[in-house]
Amino acid sequence: MPLSGFIRFFRHSLQRLESSLVHAAGFDRSLGPALAVHGPSLLPQPQHIGDHNSMPSFLDSIFWMAAPKKRRTIEVNRCRRRNPNKLIEVKTNIEPCPECGNLKQKHALCGFCYEKVQKETALIRKQIQKMEGRPLNAPSVETVVLYENEAPGDADKNKRIVERSRKRPSWFNL
Amino acid sequence: MHLTLRALISHGRVARRMGLGPESRINMLRNILTGLVRHERIETTRARADEVRFYAEKLIDYAKKGDTNEKSMKMADFWLTEKDLIPKLFKVLASRFENQSSGYTRMARLPNRENLDRAAMAVIEYKGNPFPPLFPVKKENELNLVNQLLKGYREERAQLTGFQD
Repeated sequence: MPLSGFIRFFRHSLQRLESSLVHAAGFDRSLGPALAVHGPSLLPQPQHIGDHNSMPSFLDSIFWMAAPKKRRTIEVNRCRRRNPNKLIEVKTNIEPCPECGNLKQKHALCGFCYEKVQKETALIRKQIQKMEGRPLNAPSVETVVLYENEAPGDADKNKRIVERSRKRPSWFNL
Repeated sequence: MHLTLRALISHGRVARRMGLGPESRINMLRNILTGLVRHERIETTRARADEVRFYAEKLIDYAKKGDTNEKSMKMADFWLTEKDLIPKLFKVLASRFENQSSGYTRMARLPNRENLDRAAMAVIEYKGNPFPPLFPVKKENELNLVNQLLKGYREERAQLTGFQD
């Protein structure tokens, strides 16, 4: 695994750095209090046999690092940046809503038209909440919504009537 | 557990994974279903709406069997956490759909939620609810030029056939 190779390389290099510093400073452990000899401070050290046993992996050299060889030309850069798989896809599923003219996705409802419906249902639900009084009080009869100047018909006989104090909207015809 | 191919390949599995596990998924769907029965129109994420659709229709099928049925009452008791909806289910929803055999719910996709998550939303409702319709009813305007010309053409055709007879 290259990771273990790197770790081994760093450990070896640190050890070598440390030993070379120690030699230069003259604090070598192998030279104890002995006969003072006038000689070079840097004595030849016995090479560690361990270094020969390990395989000289190609990662032991600090010069093996990936780097670009040449400058990428603007032509090559353009080819890479403008490749179709990097461009934003054009969406063909957007169309105008036939009712309000806002844009909508083909498979989804129009946001503007749904907003209208949502607001109206919220107001109807507020009215229902007022009629029910306390929570968890759902009746076991159907509900029908009547707007101003609307009388309950034959079909609305056994239903709970929710009154809304406004004119019936044009898009609410059932 | 024993790593079989059956555990790795999910061909044909219809149920989605939701929440923290199968129990959490059922609890989540139970809450959504209770809300749907109470409000008859619910706005959730697309995946949840799609999952709850199956359970909503199955619940109506059980409710149609009548509230004297032991199994139906147990199912309604389990799935509806708010117990004032059980009479509503058996009286209102079952009688509303007694002439239909399937297709009690309607699901429509909405534009993505406005939050940072831009979640794909959907609205699911029981058919026959008292709220305004999601899909606007198409009105043919008779005062268009094309429609007036077609009307004239049809009248002429009727006149000609009247003469021939």
